[in-house]
Amino acid sequence: MSKFTHNDLIVLLTALSTILIFSRILSELGRRFHFPIVMGEIIVGILLGPTVLGTLSPDFFQRVFPKDGNVSIAFDGLVNLSVVLLLFVAGLEVQLPLVLKQGKTAIATSFFSMLIPFALGFVAAFYFPNLFGGSLGGNEIYFAMFIGTALAISALPVIARILMDMNLFKTNIGMLIMASAMFNDLIGWLIFSFLLSVRHGADSIGVGYSILYIFGFGLFMLTIGKKIIDRALPWIQTKLSWPGGVLSVSIGVCLICAAFTEKIDIHAILGAFIAGIAFGDSAHLHEKAREIIHQFITNFFAPLFFVSIGLRVNFAENFDPMIVGVVLVLAYFGKVFGSAFGAYLGGLKIKNAFAVGFGLNARGAMEIILGTLALSAGIISPKLFVALVVMALVTSLTSAPMIRKLI
Amino acid sequence: MEFDIQKLKKRPAFPFETIAVGLSFSPRMESVLAEAKKIADACNAKLVLIHVGLKTKEKESILDNILFTAGIDVKKAKIIWTEGDEVDTILKICKLNIVDLLVVGALEKENLIKFYLGSIARTICRKAKCSVLLLTNTSSQKTKNKVIVNAGADHPKTMHTINTAFYFAKQIGIKEVTLVHEVHSPALAMAMAESSSAPEVTKIKKEFTEEESSKLHNIIAKCDTGNLKINEKVIKGKPGYAVRQYAITKKADLLVINSPDTHLTFLDRIFTHDIEYILADLPCNLLIVHSRV
Repeated sequence: MSKFTHNDLIVLLTALSTILIFSRILSELGRRFHFPIVMGEIIVGILLGPTVLGTLSPDFFQRVFPKDGNVSIAFDGLVNLSVVLLLFVAGLEVQLPLVLKQGKTAIATSFFSMLIPFALGFVAAFYFPNLFGGSLGGNEIYFAMFIGTALAISALPVIARILMDMNLFKTNIGMLIMASAMFNDLIGWLIFSFLLSVRHGADSIGVGYSILYIFGFGLFMLTIGKKIIDRALPWIQTKLSWPGGVLSVSIGVCLICAAFTEKIDIHAILGAFIAGIAFGDSAHLHEKAREIIHQFITNFFAPLFFVSIGLRVNFAENFDPMIVGVVLVLAYFGKVFGSAFGAYLGGLKIKNAFAVGFGLNARGAMEIILGTLALSAGIISPKLFVALVVMALVTSLTSAPMIRKLI
Repeated sequence: MEFDIQKLKKRPAFPFETIAVGLSFSPRMESVLAEAKKIADACNAKLVLIHVGLKTKEKESILDNILFTAGIDVKKAKIIWTEGDEVDTILKICKLNIVDLLVVGALEKENLIKFYLGSIARTICRKAKCSVLLLTNTSSQKTKNKVIVNAGADHPKTMHTINTAFYFAKQIGIKEVTLVHEVHSPALAMAMAESSSAPEVTKIKKEFTEEESSKLHNIIAKCDTGNLKINEKVIKGKPGYAVRQYAITKKADLLVINSPDTHLTFLDRIFTHDIEYILADLPCNLLIVHSRV
């Protein structure tokens, strides 16, 4: 095995520094126009990756972001760590009691905002896989299930930001959107973890074990695991140094859970996500600790991950207008109508129900993470991946203006 | 007994005209009865004493002694001996007798299994269609000092709860009441981490607190406070948990809260929220106001 050299270290540090500084500059520019931060990070990836820099100056691109060798391996390790931590903070804000508390409106909205886009995506991808560039590996059911999940998921971070900017955060509609997004995230990631765990064409026994492991782990962490965290957190936050104690214990638990789920052949993301829920749902977690964890991960690991997407994929080569169009139409139709239908059944007026639909339609960072993992797992093609990234950005950008029109 | 539903429908949460007491024949029954008697006298209410279980000579004799010690006139109080499921039977009797307040003794903390399966006192709190006073500490001095009302400013029941708390405070001679409004903003940390500068974060937090504070202030302005001294406090944290912690910190003697909005089940104890945080570990005596709205 080759040693990580002095030169490798310089290249890696330069690459990381470039990513962090450029993504900060673009995100700050985007902030002025209320664009989601992830948009700036994706654009930086496109500019620094094969799409722009790799085309204009292939040698320089290869020198700063080498495709092979030690630097590439180290960078991949950091990107994997980033996605695990991003799922941890996503889980941190999933508060299941909020869904229970919101009652039948939240349950109806959550259910139909998942079911209708999932069914629409599944049927479209199963019967017309060519519309999505064809399924990879020949397993149509898993491919169709992935498309269904990709259309059903929401993105809590961008939704929370939109609601905060629009001063809807504490309204009934705002709470309903948040509760439903939390439910969507939970179910979406559970289904996706299942898909990743059976991606190698497991038989029915393997599928059964995957389901058993996922639910067994989830149930354990959200009951016994959560009670242990509940007991330990007050001690950690008062007896250990602040905020170092809670930061290292929470991230340590996240990583061990991620390692465990990876070991039992469910993807590491599920362990991190469920660990996030168990920590985030604890009433003992100080608000300040929550903020620090968010700041640390969102501002260091998120740019690494989202910029790395543009470094891997050539967006110009893989931009297929037909696939982008199909994904956009299905995404809008399924999510907006599905959520609006659920909210209407739950007792909301039609206009407010559609506002909920557009709120939940914002896919943002979660969709991009989902797409990246599916691309790495060989479930989707780069063309479909680019379409999902475009869909995630377009739905996030249109969410706020549409809600504004309806409320 | 013929039950007239119209008498119960939309009946205001106060005055407490009929007060029921659940008799458990536990070591603390005597002090619970004594406290109930004081409250009944202060509210000029009639007492209904309910025991669900076998009526024996021994129990009758114990009860007679306790009633005598507590100064309860057996001719004025209604004593009901019945059998059946404890919770359902007590609640049915409360409904038939148009009970305004049910007084029950409770341990501060149940063991884990009992809590998840649901003890009698706590199940009553979850299911009751009348106000419930859960007594953990029956020292007479203890209910007269610090009263904290959980005033969730956005909830339609809150106004009734505050007014009931004020009525109760005035009747039993409390001089000072603290109204607490919990602010919980799930995912706010995440939203701010996305892209907010330090001054923006400070501004957002300040605006949130000011907005909630003003809501609480507006509610109090609409209530009849009489001569009570009212304190206002906005606290941050998960609903139920935050007010429980506040009550513990302030060494409160009575905490007043809204009745639960939905039928609470085992799931609500697993994914704890709101009242379940309080029931899991009672910080002090607890008055759950059922506003019948």
